[in-house]
Amino acid sequence: MRISIAWLSAYVPLPPPAELARRLTDVGLEVEAVERVGASLDGVVAARILSSERHPNAEKLAVCQVEAGAGTVQVVCGATNWKVGDVVPLATPGTRMPAGHRIDRASLRGVDSHGMLCSAKELGLDDDASGLLLLPADAVPGTPLAQVLGIEDVVLEVNVTPNRPDALSHLGIAREVAAATGAEVSYPEAGLRQEAPAASTALRVTVEAPDRCFRYAARVIEGVRIGPSPAWLARRLEACGVRAISNVVDATNFVLLERGQPLHAFDLDKVAGAEIVVRMARAGEKMTTLDGVVRTLSPDDLVIADRERASALAGVMGGGDSEISAGTSRVLLESAWFEPTGVRRTARRHGLHTEASHRFERGVDPEGVVAALDRCAAMIATLSGGTVRRGAVDAHPHRRKPVEVTLPWTRPGEILGMPVSRKEARAALQSLGFELTSTGPRNGTFRVPSWRLDVTREEDLIEEIVRLRGYDAIPETLPVIVSDTPAPSLEAVVTERVRQALEGAGFSEAVNFSFVAPGDLTPLGAGSGAGIPLKNPISADLAVMRGSLVPSLLKVLAYNRRQRVEEVRIYEIASTYHPRAADATDDTPAREELRLAGVASGRRHPVGWSAGGDPLDFHDVKGALEPLLETLGIEGVRWVPGGASWLHPRSAATLSWPGGGAEPVVLGVVGEVHPRVAAAFDLPRGVFAFDLSFAALAAAARPVRGHADVPRFPAVLRDLAVVVANEVEARAVLEGVRAEPLVEEVTLFDVYRGAPIPEGRKNLAMAIRYRAGDRTLTDSEADAAHARIVARLQADLGADLRG
Amino acid sequence: MDLVRDLEALAEGARQSIAQAPDDRTLEELRVRYLGKKGEISAVLRGMGQLAAEERPRVGEVANRVRDEVDALLVRARQRIEDSRLEKELQGARIDVTLPGRRLLPRGHRHPVTRTTEEIVAIFSRLGYEVASGPEIELDWYNFEALNIPADHPARDMQDTFYVDESALGRVGGEGAVLLRTHTSPIQIRAMKRAGAPPVRVVAPGRVYRSDYDQTHTPMFHQVEGICVGPGITFADLKGTLAAFARAFFGAGTRTRVRPSYFPFVEPGAEVDVSCSICGGVGNRSGARCGTCKGTGWLEVLGSGMVHPKVLENVGFDPSAVTGFAFGMGVERMAMLKYGIGDLRLFYENDLRFLEQF
Ligand SMILES: [Zn+2]
Repeated sequence: MRISIAWLSAYVPLPPPAELARRLTDVGLEVEAVERVGASLDGVVAARILSSERHPNAEKLAVCQVEAGAGTVQVVCGATNWKVGDVVPLATPGTRMPAGHRIDRASLRGVDSHGMLCSAKELGLDDDASGLLLLPADAVPGTPLAQVLGIEDVVLEVNVTPNRPDALSHLGIAREVAAATGAEVSYPEAGLRQEAPAASTALRVTVEAPDRCFRYAARVIEGVRIGPSPAWLARRLEACGVRAISNVVDATNFVLLERGQPLHAFDLDKVAGAEIVVRMARAGEKMTTLDGVVRTLSPDDLVIADRERASALAGVMGGGDSEISAGTSRVLLESAWFEPTGVRRTARRHGLHTEASHRFERGVDPEGVVAALDRCAAMIATLSGGTVRRGAVDAHPHRRKPVEVTLPWTRPGEILGMPVSRKEARAALQSLGFELTSTGPRNGTFRVPSWRLDVTREEDLIEEIVRLRGYDAIPETLPVIVSDTPAPSLEAVVTERVRQALEGAGFSEAVNFSFVAPGDLTPLGAGSGAGIPLKNPISADLAVMRGSLVPSLLKVLAYNRRQRVEEVRIYEIASTYHPRAADATDDTPAREELRLAGVASGRRHPVGWSAGGDPLDFHDVKGALEPLLETLGIEGVRWVPGGASWLHPRSAATLSWPGGGAEPVVLGVVGEVHPRVAAAFDLPRGVFAFDLSFAALAAAARPVRGHADVPRFPAVLRDLAVVVANEVEARAVLEGVRAEPLVEEVTLFDVYRGAPIPEGRKNLAMAIRYRAGDRTLTDSEADAAHARIVARLQADLGADLRG
Repeated sequence: MDLVRDLEALAEGARQSIAQAPDDRTLEELRVRYLGKKGEISAVLRGMGQLAAEERPRVGEVANRVRDEVDALLVRARQRIEDSRLEKELQGARIDVTLPGRRLLPRGHRHPVTRTTEEIVAIFSRLGYEVASGPEIELDWYNFEALNIPADHPARDMQDTFYVDESALGRVGGEGAVLLRTHTSPIQIRAMKRAGAPPVRVVAPGRVYRSDYDQTHTPMFHQVEGICVGPGITFADLKGTLAAFARAFFGAGTRTRVRPSYFPFVEPGAEVDVSCSICGGVGNRSGARCGTCKGTGWLEVLGSGMVHPKVLENVGFDPSAVTGFAFGMGVERMAMLKYGIGDLRLFYENDLRFLEQF
């Protein structure tokens, strides 16, 4: 809310603007900006024209000598509406004009000009460009123009939180200033003069929806002449960002900004039957609002109707039919109290947010309705020459009882953690308009001022006390709480180990938006999760809560490749979103599954002077995941050929963990991204990805393991080379070796295809370490074990021994 | 006596040849020549058979002495040769220490949002807070109603909400709207309900969503929420806790300032400012106005307050018996302030050239 300091100062003595801003912020009304009004006129001063003569080289120009405070200067001028002796605005050299250009000392057709004499339009004051702006003759030359015009002002941009509708006006802010500084608010007099006949003979008001309109008060002003507002009024409104329209409408806006009570003026002669009916709209009923939009109303919309039709959306916006116009002579002035949630629903339904709805939906002062009406009626009469009929037509179906709240005197201290005396509590509350209605040794009961609809319980009173006293007064302590020291959760341990394993394998972390374009998920095919669509996405690209992390990561990969970053290894740990299981019993609306996914492409090692250059492949990614499984203590994982439909069918695997149950647990998939999927993301071949279930990893993890004793007896080392058919998996050969009990470890150190190995076969070379736990192994024992292995591989896998 | 003389002569020859041996190979030849089975000492000893019995011990004694001497000479000579070779190497060609180090796989980097979240959470963990989480697709009740933000309340305007297409959820209607959580505050509701009784002390990091996308907003961002509820918890405890946090996160000299504000789920509510981490709280840097704090010397970083009694009632706690405070902060903002990141969009571009700096 914009608060004019010039306006505010009429109601309460003020400290200087910076100090005022700090005080308001300290009581919870944050001042976000302090803006000087009239700053656009800096450099423009009043100047008296002392003499003039024709420009020697231009018939339409005059060369004037003007007095502008610091002496006499010469200015060239093209306007003609002035005479010698007039006082006019002079833009001195260096002035930045509202249109943006700078005034400099210049030579106009050979004559020096030290500035420019200005029209109102050139100064951005109004649209009058017919000649120079003539200033009062007694204006002192050299005085800044803003001061001459009385438009010097400072505007505070106050952030009023939704709980404080009482502060959405100058008087409301004045109350807060008074409470904070100890000053008194001087409320303006309405100065209402009423004349017979009574308003009730000219107007009838019926409230048919009393639960949506608690009070509807109206006055009738006759004989008004619609015209522009005086300058002081227009200036007040404009300082607050409200455009001046006409005297009647401006008066309603003035009172709105003064007191926070929205008012509406109707042309009474356009109110059919001179009758106001406050009722719910009929289904399908139409009306045209002031903004020219034809609206179809809902039966939940409250309207102000005449005998025939709806003429205003109550508390939100008036209608075009009954609008004040140049010919209006009889005004119906409305001041009402509408139920906040209803106003809010109507405003949102019609996509409207007005000064009126903003205040009504937060709650205006129920006891201020009539005072605002009287104040505004008097202003209209004064500004427009009209007369106010005697009495208000006041329908008041819902009378409000004052709210009283009891405060235990010890409670503020308990909540705040510092002593607050009864006297302090009382003084703070009373300065804010709370009235002590009864008091005892333990409690005091306060009547809440009618404008403070947000205060209903003791905590609210405590907040009032502390915000006035200042939060600085509260000491800093640390809570004393008896509770266990929490152990880190399994999820936290697993997360940290996963991150470290992946970081060790060169993977950096990406964080992507949870929402993607629906089309991002389609290349992955069925089974990867279609995601959960949003009802009101911010854009089509961010419309679906993703069912898989992979598309986002592929896009990051593509983005980085476009930036010419070739070596990309990235991962993400995040939720994916799915419809909840039919048998779910918890109260989460969707099934959120934490997943761990990564993508990689580029070289196996960065190119260096000693190594590198080959593109990475499946086994590089596998080499990143194996230590991850190791650090989590997940043992016995099988790498089963074949992954998912979005992976290359011949270059992918499923990670299957036997676990303890009947069925093995699928931890996830890894492989080369299917060439067609890669193409859909503008990626070349050679992109590898994995997608693992974080929950499955956590369930399989045994982060704390036992240990085995260090071997006491020496080992015997033997190499073995066997030739098997290409289709024989390395796993089968290694398992065949490990089946021999004396084998401690086997390392596959070479895989070779090509001459002299026959076509269709491959040579696997292994280093085997034999060891017995209880004795030193003899050579002959090792030879025998070696022979048993060879025999088993020959029998089971058709292996040939290669000598 | 000839044999003794022969042995002495042999020893003298060995001393000379061993002293002059230039390398290990020569030494080995000398070892074989003198000490080998077919060597010269052995040859002398073979002649002992012809000696008188009483002379044998004396000759044997000399032979042993000579053998030991030659052996010792060989050991020393080997050491000498090794030393001179090492000395030569130590004085020889240098390696090129300026060639880049061999790094087969540079380490990956953690995203600054994660890093910052971890730093925040670690500080509260040290203060005894447990880590909690909750769903991102949330029920209206947890995100708003339970937090004292009823339907049709203007406070809902403070957070532009994404709603979920419920037909895709396969659930029966009538449970209230389903939305993307607009803050991590619903986690405090779930944590208090889960705990069942005070004390509750949790910190809850997570993704949150608001329908806002411009220079200074992204539709998804991260928050860390914290709550401390128990008997006798005061506003002073809130101030002390957040001041301690600010010093731990931004540095020991960091000052905090608390001023009234409004969040529907707390009362009294407070905005917590910390002294500007960029200009040190003075409002300007080398004479120019500090752009980070706009010259005020203060940064708004935390929303907080005493848990509203209605919130306590909503989770079944008795507000006359327990009190508590809650606080929340934006992770991206904390990361920007801590690491001096100027552009919010950098967090979600995931450009490795950015990520690799963390
Ligand atoms: Zn600063």
